[in-house]
Amino acid sequence: MSALEYIWSGVLAVFLGPELFSVLGVPIPVTLVMIFAGFLLGIAVGATPGLAGPIAMAISLPILISIFGYTPDALLPVMGFLIGVMKGATIGGAVPAILFNTPGTPDAYMTTLDGYPMTRNGQAKKALRVAHLSSVSGDTFSDIVLFVCAPFLALLVEGYLDLPEKTALLILSLSFIAAVVGGSPAKGLISTGLGLLVAFIATGEDFYPRLSLDSPALAQGFPLATAILGVLIVGAVFKELADMWREKRSSGAVSANHDSGEQGLHFSDVQRLFPYIGRSAVIGTAIGALPGIGSTLAATIGYTVGKARYQKRKSAEDPDFGKGAPEGIAATEAANSSVSGANLIPVLSLGIPGNAAAVFLILAADSIGGFNPGPSVFRFTTESVNPELVIAFGLFTAMFIANILNWTIGGVFMRSMGVMTRVPKQILLPIVLLLTLTAIYVQETRMDAIWFTLGFGVLGYLMRVVAMSPLPFVIAFILGGKLEESARQAFAATGGDPYFLFTHPIAALFMALSVGVIVFTARNSRAKATEART
Amino acid sequence: MSSESRSNLILGICFILFSLLLIFVWIPLDTDSGILERVRRQVTIGDALAPTLAGVFLLLGGIILVVAERNAADQPEIDTVNLGFVAMVIVMLAISVLVMRYAGPAAVALANIGRETPLEYRLLRDTAPWKYTGFFFGGTLMIAGLISMIEGRVTIKSILIAIAAVVAMIAVYDLPFDDLLLPPNGDV
Repeated sequence: MSALEYIWSGVLAVFLGPELFSVLGVPIPVTLVMIFAGFLLGIAVGATPGLAGPIAMAISLPILISIFGYTPDALLPVMGFLIGVMKGATIGGAVPAILFNTPGTPDAYMTTLDGYPMTRNGQAKKALRVAHLSSVSGDTFSDIVLFVCAPFLALLVEGYLDLPEKTALLILSLSFIAAVVGGSPAKGLISTGLGLLVAFIATGEDFYPRLSLDSPALAQGFPLATAILGVLIVGAVFKELADMWREKRSSGAVSANHDSGEQGLHFSDVQRLFPYIGRSAVIGTAIGALPGIGSTLAATIGYTVGKARYQKRKSAEDPDFGKGAPEGIAATEAANSSVSGANLIPVLSLGIPGNAAAVFLILAADSIGGFNPGPSVFRFTTESVNPELVIAFGLFTAMFIANILNWTIGGVFMRSMGVMTRVPKQILLPIVLLLTLTAIYVQETRMDAIWFTLGFGVLGYLMRVVAMSPLPFVIAFILGGKLEESARQAFAATGGDPYFLFTHPIAALFMALSVGVIVFTARNSRAKATEART
Repeated sequence: MSSESRSNLILGICFILFSLLLIFVWIPLDTDSGILERVRRQVTIGDALAPTLAGVFLLLGGIILVVAERNAADQPEIDTVNLGFVAMVIVMLAISVLVMRYAGPAAVALANIGRETPLEYRLLRDTAPWKYTGFFFGGTLMIAGLISMIEGRVTIKSILIAIAAVVAMIAVYDLPFDDLLLPPNGDV
């Protein structure tokens, strides 16, 4: 089979797959219906604060597998559904971030920085439009790159990044995040250190769960959802409640946000936003193609690059980044949404996910069988058919279909979400809090998880009080396990060479960049402090 | 935010002390293997290495905070009144979670008064209305309590909103799925 025939077979596998029902004699394939259902569910959970795509995937996966069974025919409908959820939740996730300052996912945290100030300025609907346009543009760009470049990039990534390089790359991403997020490299390093520390509690290879203080509650470690949702959502809820209470004390009333001014998105706006969307889409796609690094980093870098450009070009009356600039939303949303397409390259070729959603795709493939993410997926065999490659192109097709839905229904849905700004925040925030705690309990089914979440909420609140960004904490928590695992493997693979990070040229370059970025930003902030003093 | 605030200096010193405590006391006492281990004549990475790296991040952050950022212009000033309010919020949440955990068993104990064959909550945790008791009372207290704290008064409206929200969450999480458990039914 030639490459084109493989692509065409993948497309046909979606459109000519098993029929679910027929309309006027036209058969409707089950995969299409599942993508559509997943997409609707994804938008709904993404837009519900406290819920997110991975939770919907976690709940629906066992149900889907029990419906479709353990045959290769189940792969496309089940994974199509998960892709639908992933795509829907990506645009839906921006809604609570913009309207209520409560990001449903770590990726949406940067969206709150400008999205929520726009809501406070009465520009909620416009902010949602910007988020939708940027998100869908970035996503579509990423999918096109995926379709065109996937096989080549997969071979390239596999060829150049060995275990020492992967370890060094993880250290570089942590250092970079620590240095650039939040404007204070010192606080970024502390936030990263705390995230790593929490990730390493009760993990490791020894029989005794390390750093667990002999406590049975700590012996299982901290579930991912408790740390991430606790620091990001519960911490933000505490801060908002405290701010609202202070506002009430000083003014005697709790303020509400009302729409004011022009809410539409004109061609001139699109022209202005497009350079930010374009840059972020390229950044997100490039990051998505690297294994182990997910959409949160893409959102952060997209935002930082967008901010640097904006500072040079903005006029005096335009709001700064972080104060309600639509360009900030565009830079973030385009970057984090463009990860999901390219992210399937390392997922399918190496089995390494870049985000939580990808974890569920791997889990689905693993549970159903007949599709083993790894180097064999992108093998273009000409004499015999490689069924895994056909499935891979079927998945790419599913992503395109979800994108078409995104451009159409997604926009209408997000605009309708504007109505939620009228809900008073003092009512909504406590409901979000209970919803978050319930969602975590449903996943973990132990009360310890609720206590952990509240504990991480307090940590997230205190971090906000001392102006420390919680984002490096979350990224370090997610990458901590991977960092240790790849370091152990690299150490073993290099025959116990303690200098493996410095003896391989690319790894050494990554390490030099890690040190460089910290030293550079620390010197910069010292210079700024001296300037402020004089 | 001001450069007069000494919050960066205090924070930096705290994290330097914490990281030293972590690296030299907590990690050595609370991990089974060291930084590098020799197992069957092969050197492997021990369980202490990764947390030590976390400690190094904390130590570096603390040192940079003290050395380079102690006079930064944008240091936050800590509002102790706000911290007090959040402490009250946490107490309210803790009470709500405890109500959520124990209301169901308490309701069963109450129903057992005068019964010849006593009921057991553990056996009823998948049976309505028992399985909703803790979530209903704890959730309602949490939402109505927080709304009342912000508004400075307890109103019937806030209680009704809380009840409606809790009932909606039960409808979303429990009714369509047999295998999902509302709090606290996975523990009891």
